[in-house]
Amino acid sequence: MALLEVKDLVVGYDAFPVLHGINFSVEEGELCVLLGLNGAGKTTTVSTIAGMLKPQSGSMTFDGKELKKGSPSARVAGGISLCPEGRRVFPRLSVRQNLRLGSWVRRKESKTVRRQLELVYDYFPRLAEREGQLAGTLSGGEQQMLAVARAMMSKPRLLLIDEASLGLSPTLARTVWEVTKRIKADGTTVLMVEQNAGALPYADRALIMEKGTLVYTGVGDEIRDVNLREAYLGV
Amino acid sequence: MEELAIALTFGVLQGSVYSLVALGIVLVYRVSGVFNFAQAEFGTTGLFGAYIAVVLWEWPFYLGLLFGLVVAIVMGLLTERLVIHPLRNQSKVTLLVGTAGVALTVIGIQFWQFNDPLIRQLPKISDAVYVTPFGAPIMAQQLITLAVLIVAAAALAVFLKSPAGLAMQAAQQEPVACELVGVSVRRVSMMTWGIAALLGGLAGVLSGAYTIFTAGFLTFGVGKALLPGFIAAVLAGMKSMPGAVAGGLVVGIVEQFGGLKMFGDVPGASALLLLVFLVVVLLLRPQGLLVRKATA
Ligand SMILES: Nc1ncnc2c1ncn2[C@@H]1O[C@H](COP(=O)(O)OP(=O)(O)OP(=O)(O)O)[C@@H](O)[C@H]1O
Ligand SMILES: [Mg+2]
Repeated sequence: MALLEVKDLVVGYDAFPVLHGINFSVEEGELCVLLGLNGAGKTTTVSTIAGMLKPQSGSMTFDGKELKKGSPSARVAGGISLCPEGRRVFPRLSVRQNLRLGSWVRRKESKTVRRQLELVYDYFPRLAEREGQLAGTLSGGEQQMLAVARAMMSKPRLLLIDEASLGLSPTLARTVWEVTKRIKADGTTVLMVEQNAGALPYADRALIMEKGTLVYTGVGDEIRDVNLREAYLGV
Repeated sequence: MEELAIALTFGVLQGSVYSLVALGIVLVYRVSGVFNFAQAEFGTTGLFGAYIAVVLWEWPFYLGLLFGLVVAIVMGLLTERLVIHPLRNQSKVTLLVGTAGVALTVIGIQFWQFNDPLIRQLPKISDAVYVTPFGAPIMAQQLITLAVLIVAAAALAVFLKSPAGLAMQAAQQEPVACELVGVSVRRVSMMTWGIAALLGGLAGVLSGAYTIFTAGFLTFGVGKALLPGFIAAVLAGMKSMPGAVAGGLVVGIVEQFGGLKMFGDVPGASALLLLVFLVVVLLLRPQGLLVRKATA
């Protein structure tokens, strides 16, 4: 059984639909990448899974249970954590304070919090060095690392990452993708939104979205095919 | 010299009331971005609550004071529920007018319900009066207020470093991310207004017993602390908690200096001096007192 299963999902802003009934699933232990051009509906998809938007119709099941309408708080407590588009770190709190807030839903489990903190510092040693610095004064790349690390602090089963590579140098983007792969290897299922096809080699499953519909779903080696990139992404 | 020492002492004592009010103003501003005109009325309402319980219902004294604080907190929560939350997407000016409306409403209710007698008195925690070496008498009650201010400010400083306190700051900085980590921005807002109202309530039940009180006591009555509290909050750059405490004390002192003999012939010397002081401080340190520039 898939960890996340999305069926006929229709989502829109006001009455205007943006996602026209999409279907896909993510298996436990996978790194799945959702690709698409600007405005394809990627952010809308992960925001809906994270409970920030209400679907107009369709269903989402997580670990066999249907995700009913619920707040983002309920989702993160239930094991789904979103690292949002645009980083959204808390600018006037320190790196460490940002991370502590990331573990808000587990704030009573001090052992887990400590373990997650060690883990994310291990993923991003740069954050450990800058523990006391105000998040707003970090570089863009460091803020992106902090955003991913903060999302990991709740020890999610499913981590959603919305365009972590945006605005990063190719080298730094690869670093972030490498960490994403490590996060997956350490047991967290990842659904990663990307516009950059450079993320494909890191993925176990790829979804390609165009104008609110999924036009391609693939698993394994076939997604590393060059023709695929040309056909859908023009690279 | 003696005159100066007396002014300084009285200034600090009166200033501690302003500091309590300023702490509430800064707290709400930091989290909701609202200039809260009802902050002083949280105090007067708490004072009336304590008065009703202690004097009219003859409850045990401390239970009555506690009741007053609870009344203040309830008023803070109701303000959030009925005014701030429904108007949250409006401009800050609308919210400001909303809080002024809250203040005017409760003052109206106080006049309407407590007009006869107009003047009332709440017993003090202690009736002791001490005479300082300079001959100026100070009330034990004033010292209690100062002590409560110190404890409240310290507690607030500790609280702001706790997870709930961090959540409070985060909710204002990035509400979306706050929801995403599982913090309910709504609950944070309620908590903020509750704590601010408690600070106002403390100012009310303590300073309200200094002398007599009437409706609107802390807003424009004998114990007026709203305007001084606002000045103190502005001195604190509307963000620094230690700044709010220092600002309140400084405003109290400057006000007392206006009463010195050398200003004896100037009408309204206190208010004038305060204004000049405010302008000078803002010119020299626009970011406020005890505010690190880097965090601005
Ligand atoms: N709040 C909103 N109100 C109305 N329309 C919206 C809103 N947010 C997004 N949309 C529309 O929904 C469509 C999909 O947007 P979405 O943000 O999901 O795209 P995306 O794939 O994440 O794009 P990008 O790569 O640029 O981030 C776009 O046409 C966009 O204009
Ligand atoms: Mg997007």
